[in-house]
Amino acid sequence: MAGSDTDGNTYHLRPNYQHKFKPAIVKACIREILREQLSGVQYEPEEVPGLSRALAESIKNKLKDAGFERYKLVVQVVIGEQRGEGVKMASRCFWDADTDSYAEDLFMNESLFCVAAAFGCYHY
Amino acid sequence: MEEFQAAEETAFVVEEVSTIIKESVEGVIGANGYQHSRVHQWTNSVVEQCLSQLGKLSKPFKYIVTCIIMQKNGAGLQTASTCFWDNTTDGSCTVRWENKTMYCIISVFGLAI
Repeated sequence: MAGSDTDGNTYHLRPNYQHKFKPAIVKACIREILREQLSGVQYEPEEVPGLSRALAESIKNKLKDAGFERYKLVVQVVIGEQRGEGVKMASRCFWDADTDSYAEDLFMNESLFCVAAAFGCYHY
Repeated sequence: MEEFQAAEETAFVVEEVSTIIKESVEGVIGANGYQHSRVHQWTNSVVEQCLSQLGKLSKPFKYIVTCIIMQKNGAGLQTASTCFWDNTTDGSCTVRWENKTMYCIISVFGLAI
Protein backbone atom coordinates (compact mmCIF):
# COMPACT_ATOMS: atom_id res chain seq x y z
CA MET A 1 0.00 0.00 0.00
CA ALA A 2 1.32 3.42 -0.90
CA GLY A 3 2.57 5.43 2.03
CA SER A 4 0.89 8.55 0.73
CA ASP A 5 -2.63 7.17 1.14
CA THR A 6 -4.54 9.71 3.10
CA ASP A 7 -7.76 7.82 3.55
CA GLY A 8 -8.06 4.54 5.34
CA ASN A 9 -5.53 2.93 7.63
CA THR A 10 -2.28 1.45 6.38
CA TYR A 11 -1.50 -0.12 9.76
CA HIS A 12 2.11 0.97 9.42
CA LEU A 13 3.10 1.49 13.01
CA ARG A 14 6.06 3.74 12.34
CA PRO A 15 6.79 6.36 9.71
CA ASN A 16 9.97 6.12 7.60
CA TYR A 17 12.70 8.30 8.97
CA GLN A 18 12.51 10.67 6.01
CA HIS A 19 8.79 11.16 6.51
CA LYS A 20 8.97 11.61 10.25
CA PHE A 21 7.84 14.83 11.92
CA LYS A 22 11.12 16.57 12.78
CA PRO A 23 10.70 19.32 15.36
CA ALA A 24 13.88 21.16 14.36
CA ILE A 25 12.73 21.54 10.75
CA VAL A 26 9.24 22.56 11.81
CA LYS A 27 10.60 25.12 14.25
CA ALA A 28 12.68 26.65 11.48
CA CYS A 29 9.59 26.83 9.23
CA ILE A 30 7.59 28.56 11.94
CA ARG A 31 10.38 30.97 12.74
CA GLU A 32 10.76 31.96 9.10
CA ILE A 33 7.03 32.60 8.63
CA LEU A 34 6.69 34.60 11.86
CA ARG A 35 9.72 36.72 10.95
CA GLU A 36 8.45 37.31 7.44
CA GLN A 37 4.91 38.29 8.35
CA LEU A 38 5.30 39.99 11.73
CA SER A 39 8.42 42.12 11.64
CA GLY A 40 7.44 45.74 12.12
CA VAL A 41 3.77 44.89 12.60
CA GLN A 42 1.88 46.75 15.33
CA TYR A 43 -0.89 45.23 17.41
CA GLU A 44 -4.14 46.45 15.82
CA PRO A 45 -7.22 44.86 17.41
CA GLU A 46 -9.10 44.91 14.08
CA GLU A 47 -6.30 43.30 12.12
CA VAL A 48 -5.18 40.64 14.54
CA PRO A 49 -7.97 38.06 14.04
CA GLY A 50 -7.25 37.93 10.32
CA LEU A 51 -3.52 38.03 10.85
CA SER A 52 -3.48 35.13 13.30
CA ARG A 53 -5.65 33.03 11.00
CA ALA A 54 -3.43 33.83 8.02
CA LEU A 55 -0.33 32.88 10.00
CA ALA A 56 -1.82 29.57 11.12
CA GLU A 57 -2.91 28.86 7.56
CA SER A 58 0.48 29.58 6.04
CA ILE A 59 2.31 27.52 8.64
CA LYS A 60 -0.03 24.61 8.00
CA ASN A 61 0.41 24.89 4.23
CA LYS A 62 4.16 25.01 4.56
CA LEU A 63 4.16 21.89 6.75
CA LYS A 64 1.85 20.09 4.34
CA ASP A 65 4.55 20.56 1.69
CA ALA A 66 7.35 19.45 4.01
CA GLY A 67 6.72 15.77 3.33
CA PHE A 68 5.44 14.56 6.70
CA GLU A 69 3.37 11.80 5.17
CA ARG A 70 0.33 10.53 7.01
CA TYR A 71 0.67 13.13 9.71
CA LYS A 72 -2.33 14.99 11.00
CA LEU A 73 -1.33 18.54 11.78
CA VAL A 74 -2.64 21.02 14.30
CA VAL A 75 -1.32 24.57 14.27
CA GLN A 76 -2.14 27.04 16.97
CA VAL A 77 -1.17 30.70 16.83
CA VAL A 78 -1.50 33.11 19.74
CA ILE A 79 -0.94 36.83 19.30
CA GLY A 80 -0.97 39.11 22.27
CA GLU A 81 -0.43 42.77 22.90
CA GLN A 82 2.63 43.83 24.88
CA ARG A 83 1.39 45.82 27.83
CA GLY A 84 3.36 44.27 30.59
CA GLU A 85 0.70 41.71 31.42
CA GLY A 86 1.55 38.21 32.58
CA VAL A 87 0.84 35.37 30.18
CA LYS A 88 1.46 31.68 30.56
CA MET A 89 0.85 28.97 28.00
CA ALA A 90 1.06 25.26 28.68
CA SER A 91 0.25 22.19 26.68
CA ARG A 92 0.08 18.46 27.26
CA CYS A 93 -0.54 15.72 24.79
CA PHE A 94 -1.87 12.22 25.07
CA TRP A 95 -0.28 10.44 22.13
CA ASP A 96 2.41 8.09 20.87
CA ALA A 97 5.66 9.79 21.82
CA ASP A 98 7.59 7.61 19.35
CA THR A 99 5.89 9.01 16.29
CA ASP A 100 4.19 12.22 17.33
CA SER A 101 5.84 15.47 18.17
CA TYR A 102 5.48 19.20 18.27
CA ALA A 103 7.46 22.36 17.72
CA GLU A 104 6.88 25.92 18.79
CA ASP A 105 8.48 29.27 18.29
CA LEU A 106 8.10 32.73 19.74
CA PHE A 107 8.29 36.08 18.04
CA MET A 108 8.34 39.38 19.87
CA ASN A 109 8.56 43.04 18.99
CA GLU A 110 7.74 46.21 20.95
CA SER A 111 4.04 46.01 20.25
CA LEU A 112 3.12 42.33 20.20
CA PHE A 113 4.24 38.81 20.94
CA CYS A 114 3.29 35.74 18.97
CA VAL A 115 3.58 32.08 19.87
CA ALA A 116 3.00 29.47 17.21
CA ALA A 117 2.86 25.78 18.03
CA ALA A 118 2.57 22.96 15.51
CA PHE A 119 1.65 19.42 16.53
CA GLY A 120 2.04 16.38 14.33
CA CYS A 121 0.14 13.16 14.96
CA TYR A 122 0.92 10.08 12.93
CA HIS A 123 -2.10 8.35 11.46
CA TYR A 124 -1.40 4.60 11.44
CA MET B 1 -21.32 -6.87 14.51
CA GLU B 2 -20.57 -6.80 18.20
CA GLU B 3 -17.01 -5.69 17.75
CA PHE B 4 -18.14 -2.39 16.27
CA GLN B 5 -18.83 0.22 18.86
CA ALA B 6 -21.74 2.59 18.41
CA ALA B 7 -20.83 5.78 16.59
CA GLU B 8 -21.37 8.09 19.54
CA GLU B 9 -19.15 5.93 21.74
CA THR B 10 -16.13 6.58 19.54
CA ALA B 11 -16.89 10.09 18.33
CA PHE B 12 -15.49 13.37 19.57
CA VAL B 13 -18.43 14.91 21.43
CA VAL B 14 -17.82 18.63 21.81
CA GLU B 15 -20.35 19.14 24.65
CA GLU B 16 -18.72 16.41 26.70
CA VAL B 17 -15.28 17.90 26.20
CA SER B 18 -16.36 21.44 26.96
CA THR B 19 -17.89 20.26 30.25
CA ILE B 20 -14.61 18.58 31.16
CA ILE B 21 -12.70 21.76 30.37
CA LYS B 22 -15.02 24.02 32.36
CA GLU B 23 -14.94 21.72 35.37
CA SER B 24 -11.15 21.58 35.31
CA VAL B 25 -10.73 25.36 35.14
CA GLU B 26 -13.31 26.01 37.81
CA GLY B 27 -11.70 23.42 40.03
CA VAL B 28 -8.16 24.65 39.60
CA ILE B 29 -8.53 28.43 39.39
CA GLY B 30 -12.03 29.27 40.62
CA ALA B 31 -12.09 32.75 42.12
CA ASN B 32 -8.33 33.03 42.71
CA GLY B 33 -6.74 36.30 41.70
CA TYR B 34 -3.83 36.43 39.26
CA GLN B 35 -0.64 35.53 41.09
CA HIS B 36 2.50 35.34 39.05
CA SER B 37 4.01 32.66 41.25
CA ARG B 38 1.06 30.30 40.87
CA VAL B 39 0.24 30.67 37.17
CA HIS B 40 2.79 28.08 36.18
CA GLN B 41 1.17 25.54 38.46
CA TRP B 42 -2.35 26.50 37.35
CA THR B 43 -1.71 26.06 33.64
CA ASN B 44 -0.11 22.70 34.30
CA SER B 45 -2.92 21.54 36.57
CA VAL B 46 -5.62 22.58 34.11
CA VAL B 47 -4.12 20.70 31.16
CA GLU B 48 -3.28 17.70 33.26
CA GLN B 49 -6.75 17.49 34.71
CA CYS B 50 -8.39 17.88 31.31
CA LEU B 51 -6.18 15.19 29.89
CA SER B 52 -6.81 12.71 32.68
CA GLN B 53 -10.58 13.22 32.34
CA LEU B 54 -10.35 12.82 28.56
CA GLY B 55 -8.38 9.65 29.05
CA LYS B 56 -11.14 8.28 31.25
CA LEU B 57 -13.58 8.55 28.34
CA SER B 58 -11.67 5.59 26.81
CA LYS B 59 -12.13 6.73 23.26
CA PRO B 60 -9.72 5.94 20.42
CA PHE B 61 -8.20 9.40 20.31
CA LYS B 62 -4.90 11.12 20.69
CA TYR B 63 -5.38 14.40 22.50
CA ILE B 64 -3.62 17.74 22.39
CA VAL B 65 -4.52 20.18 25.16
CA THR B 66 -3.25 23.73 25.44
CA CYS B 67 -4.01 26.32 28.06
CA ILE B 68 -3.24 30.02 28.08
CA ILE B 69 -3.69 32.21 31.12
CA MET B 70 -3.42 35.95 30.71
CA GLN B 71 -3.61 38.64 33.31
CA LYS B 72 -6.33 41.22 32.66
CA ASN B 73 -4.87 44.67 32.15
CA GLY B 74 -6.57 45.82 28.99
CA ALA B 75 -4.19 44.13 26.59
CA GLY B 76 -5.56 42.13 23.68
CA LEU B 77 -5.02 38.47 22.97
CA GLN B 78 -6.01 36.52 19.91
CA THR B 79 -5.65 32.85 19.15
CA ALA B 80 -6.27 30.96 15.93
CA SER B 81 -5.80 27.37 14.95
CA THR B 82 -5.82 25.40 11.75
CA CYS B 83 -5.85 21.66 11.37
CA PHE B 84 -5.01 19.18 8.67
CA TRP B 85 -6.91 16.05 9.61
CA ASP B 86 -9.97 13.90 8.96
CA ASN B 87 -12.96 16.15 9.50
CA THR B 88 -15.34 13.24 9.89
CA THR B 89 -13.63 11.74 12.93
CA ASP B 90 -11.47 14.42 14.51
CA GLY B 91 -12.66 17.41 16.44
CA SER B 92 -11.66 20.35 18.56
CA CYS B 93 -13.16 22.37 21.35
CA THR B 94 -12.06 25.74 22.68
CA VAL B 95 -13.35 27.33 25.85
CA ARG B 96 -12.80 30.91 26.95
CA TRP B 97 -13.10 31.39 30.64
CA GLU B 98 -12.51 34.46 32.73
CA ASN B 99 -12.72 35.75 36.26
CA LYS B 100 -12.03 39.21 37.65
CA THR B 101 -8.30 39.18 37.12
CA MET B 102 -7.48 36.82 34.27
CA TYR B 103 -8.52 35.19 31.05
CA CYS B 104 -8.03 31.52 30.44
CA ILE B 105 -8.30 29.93 27.00
CA ILE B 106 -8.21 26.16 26.73
CA SER B 107 -8.19 24.24 23.47
CA VAL B 108 -8.57 20.51 23.09
CA PHE B 109 -7.90 18.71 19.84
CA GLY B 110 -8.93 15.09 19.45
CA LEU B 111 -7.32 13.11 16.65
CA ALA B 112 -8.80 9.70 15.93
CA ILE B 113 -6.35 6.82 15.79
